[in-house]
Amino acid sequence: MGFPHKPHPKETVLLSRYFGEADARNYKGWVKRGGYAALEQARAMEPARVVDIVKDSGLRGRGGAGFPTGLKWSFMPKEKKKPHYLCVNADESEPGTFKDREIMRWTPHALLEGTAIAAHAIQAEVAYIYIRGEFTEPLAIMDKALTDARSAGVFGKLKIHLHRGAGAYICGEETALMSSIEGKRGNPRIKPPFPAAAGVFGMPTTINNVETLAAVPHILTKGAVWYKGLSLSSPKSTGTKLFSVCGHVQQPGNYEVTLGFPLKDLVYELCGGMRPGRTLKACIPGGSSVPILDRAETESCLLDYEGVVERGSMLGSGGVIVFDDSTDMVYQIMRLARFYAHESCAQCTQCREGTAWTTKILERILAGQGKTADLDLLLDLSENMTGKTICVLSDSCAAPVVSGIKKFRSEFEDYIAGRRKPVMVA
Amino acid sequence: MPEELVNLTIDGVPVSVSKGMLVIEAAKQAGVLVPHYCYHPGLPVAGVCRMCLVEIEKQPKLAISCATQVAEGMVVKTQSAAAKSARTGVLEFLLINHPLDCPICDQAGECELQDFTFQEGRAGTRYSPDYPKRFNPVEDFGPDVLYVPNRCILCTRCVRFMEDVAREPVLNVSERGDRAYIGVHPETRLDHPWAGNVVDLCPVGSLLSKDFLHKARAWELDKTASLCTGCSQGCNVTLDTRENVVVRVRPRPNLEVNRYFICDHGRMNYRWMNRGDRIEAPLVKRGGELHATDWQDALERVTTTLRGAGPRVVSLVSPRASTEALFFARELFRGLDWTGAFQVVMGEEAPLAGVPDLALRAERAPNGRGAELLGYGREYAAALAAAQSAAVVLVLDEPDIPVRAGTLIYVGTVLPERARDAEVVLPIANVAEEDGSFVNRDGRVQRYAQAKPAPGMARPAWWVFSELGAALGHGEPVGSAAEAFERVAQAIDALRGLSYEQLGFVGKPAAVPVAV
Amino acid sequence: MSVGAHPSQPAGTEEYQPVFTEQMLEQLNEILARYPTRQAALLPALWLVQRARGWISDRNMAEVAEVLGLTPAYVKGVVTFYTMYHQHPVGRHFVQVCTTSPCNICGAEAVVQALLEATGAKELGATSPDGKWTVIEVECLGACGFATPVLVDDDFIESVTPDRVPELVRKYK
Repeated sequence: MGFPHKPHPKETVLLSRYFGEADARNYKGWVKRGGYAALEQARAMEPARVVDIVKDSGLRGRGGAGFPTGLKWSFMPKEKKKPHYLCVNADESEPGTFKDREIMRWTPHALLEGTAIAAHAIQAEVAYIYIRGEFTEPLAIMDKALTDARSAGVFGKLKIHLHRGAGAYICGEETALMSSIEGKRGNPRIKPPFPAAAGVFGMPTTINNVETLAAVPHILTKGAVWYKGLSLSSPKSTGTKLFSVCGHVQQPGNYEVTLGFPLKDLVYELCGGMRPGRTLKACIPGGSSVPILDRAETESCLLDYEGVVERGSMLGSGGVIVFDDSTDMVYQIMRLARFYAHESCAQCTQCREGTAWTTKILERILAGQGKTADLDLLLDLSENMTGKTICVLSDSCAAPVVSGIKKFRSEFEDYIAGRRKPVMVA
Repeated sequence: MPEELVNLTIDGVPVSVSKGMLVIEAAKQAGVLVPHYCYHPGLPVAGVCRMCLVEIEKQPKLAISCATQVAEGMVVKTQSAAAKSARTGVLEFLLINHPLDCPICDQAGECELQDFTFQEGRAGTRYSPDYPKRFNPVEDFGPDVLYVPNRCILCTRCVRFMEDVAREPVLNVSERGDRAYIGVHPETRLDHPWAGNVVDLCPVGSLLSKDFLHKARAWELDKTASLCTGCSQGCNVTLDTRENVVVRVRPRPNLEVNRYFICDHGRMNYRWMNRGDRIEAPLVKRGGELHATDWQDALERVTTTLRGAGPRVVSLVSPRASTEALFFARELFRGLDWTGAFQVVMGEEAPLAGVPDLALRAERAPNGRGAELLGYGREYAAALAAAQSAAVVLVLDEPDIPVRAGTLIYVGTVLPERARDAEVVLPIANVAEEDGSFVNRDGRVQRYAQAKPAPGMARPAWWVFSELGAALGHGEPVGSAAEAFERVAQAIDALRGLSYEQLGFVGKPAAVPVAV
Repeated sequence: MSVGAHPSQPAGTEEYQPVFTEQMLEQLNEILARYPTRQAALLPALWLVQRARGWISDRNMAEVAEVLGLTPAYVKGVVTFYTMYHQHPVGRHFVQVCTTSPCNICGAEAVVQALLEATGAKELGATSPDGKWTVIEVECLGACGFATPVLVDDDFIESVTPDRVPELVRKYK
């Protein structure tokens, strides 16, 4: 099992503070580090008060959409008429993202504590933690932590269960996740009804990402004002965020910085920059579903919800994929399209057919059989795949294609014109 | 409580519809058919084909009209550039893996993929012929259903029907992405008694009826509103005929009776309508043998027999006969010592679990209730016994002919062996060959229409009996089924006030207590 | 984590031995207590089957359907949605290598080649002649910073490079 790097001085370690400390995984070790104090604090409050504190903190969902967490909680019925559920999204599957895995591996109790606080805030009696099937190690660690905390009587009447996925990226989409918990195909559902009205098992439900919930105990113990103060650029982006950096950097890994942190510093300083003799060519800042940034955009991008949008992409899940100048962008975009074609649930026409067709066109271009019209065709298909389906998987396939053609068009043209050696793809 | 109405505009047409209605349904009221595949009013909304995308003013994204409820002041544009281009895009995606085998596809001519592609699809494909199309072999799903996966557009109507309407999920979506197909488990088959509906529901030629396979092209078919004669439920059906042969029976929507569905028993219950061994001319007994004659001669023989007959008369009738025929047949014996009875074949009941009050009923006859209303009884055995000593026995299309001393008058479609010693045999039309009406088990009065000509000289039974009645002095004969029904409605309290015009082709409840 | 290996039930038509005998039913009942519906226990129940039998046959699916009050077709629809359920027998050790873009640029392809060679599986998805190994490429395993991650059965192994492969394979002999 890999150990994390030593924190860089420019990091703000909050969630990652105990990464690497094996003792923090144990219930006693966690309590020794102040664990479960926030839960006790929350339990002493009215649920609505907890919601308000989280609202005031400015915390936004760390799974990708960036929806204000407190606001999401406030959509749950105040007056309880049916069972309420909390679903924890630990189905981390977005290429480039591996932060929730680290939270669960090193600080399982941080997630459990956040889960219990959220459950109190939304008056849920049952919480399901949906862990992707491939995460065997986090599953085992969470299982032990849950057993320990449960036998210590930490959760009171709250029941927390682990639910193991079985290989489906789309189950990270909140409504698909609920379908999967119900024992169905992981199909996203049309909204409305929204989960807060009719979610898992038809009951009011809130779905939160692992990192979001792991931040909650800190907000309770240190206060909303303190958390809100953690902001380097936009006041709408508060707190710290784990950025998973991978690809062509010297030191890939998870880095925790205050929102608004420059992407340039993350890549060049914290991650040690490019490999010797290489320069940065492109960067996907928020997991594979967001548009690709070129070098100039990367170097001028601030890492918060607004800053990345200003550069034409999105903060997403905070999965930063770095490509250096050795990268064949056409090939990588094909790999990403293939990923989405593989993961499409098959419900919506545009996604089912469009992701596969897009992949075929990209494969043909790589094979040297492309036509100039293929680029316009790809863009037109992407247009037809954007904003028209139940969930955004189809849009996610279009994002790297559209931005890739826009920013690296000459690479596509080289293949089409025969200036580049064809790549046969299996 | 008055229904709450919502006002909205669809393609410039203002409509007021009930609150909660879906935009796609409201559009129908504005005369607009929004192209769609997965949506079906008889199934839960899936919202997956994305074909019914429309523009709604003040909404940032196109919306699927099958899952969007109407709202006050809503302005819907189905023909905006964005909406049309989105639908054209969906059609293009649907077609990339769809074979262009329309010339050999049973669905051609009644295919929604053809229709909407013609309406708003691209003229040519941009899918390179170098790419292979998805291929999976044809599968045998059940007794009457074949699955052609290559044509499937994954609308999931069939899956939802089996899951939510039949409540027996034997179909699934298997695999995912563009590898997905409709699957079954090898240990179970699509043999539910209502399974055939998946063929009707399939918007393309992916689910096919083996019974109808390659029988006809859709454009060769004539369609006639009719009623199923398979049981007492009274499901509304369409008879599809090709060159005056019934080749297919399909459900005709009636929300009060069968919604959008019929059972397989009813669906397959049509071959007898095409029987070749029919009585084609009136027959009268001369010198101990039946001889063909004309109607005038035959009717005179009957009236002579009836005029001179003793007081005891028995009628044995088929519960498949029209209410009109049963009425005029009863009128013939007014004032005599009359016994009328019918018998019903019984079978197993097969409900459609997801629709209340819809089942293949144990009573396998369409007009038992009508016969009862007109005074025919269910004591068939007693009637058979009474027939032994009756002066005249009239049998209406009932093969179970009694031993008797008196005169037999047989009115029917085919000639059973034991009807050969009848005094007179009168040929009549079957249900596909005449206009008429039935009363179903719930007391609903419903019409059926003539789908093909009757063979030879055969006439509707109501015509035969009304002519006989007139000859016996019971008023004028009637010239049409509508007129015949008018007479019934005047005479029978339960049907009073009803007319063919009022009944339309979905029927009306009779003013009788519901018998179960 | 333990170095687990998959058992493997025969793919033939031998008399069926139910998976859910007394002890397994006990486990299932524990699972059922977590959910308000029986259907919700489907994914965990399928995991139990796969752990016991190595893969999930059509007959297994029908058994699960019966135990949970579902139909075999429904269960099959769910099984085929999730890529981690094996619908065919696989080698005793099942190897999943991430080859999605971030791992691809860090050399995942060479790791795959090394694994195919060292295990004798030769081809992706094929099982080695000794029945021990099946190697497949998978989409993102969620450990992109530890390229290339490899799942051998339930063991998640990070930062695998081609030169580490022979030793890794030896460990599972």
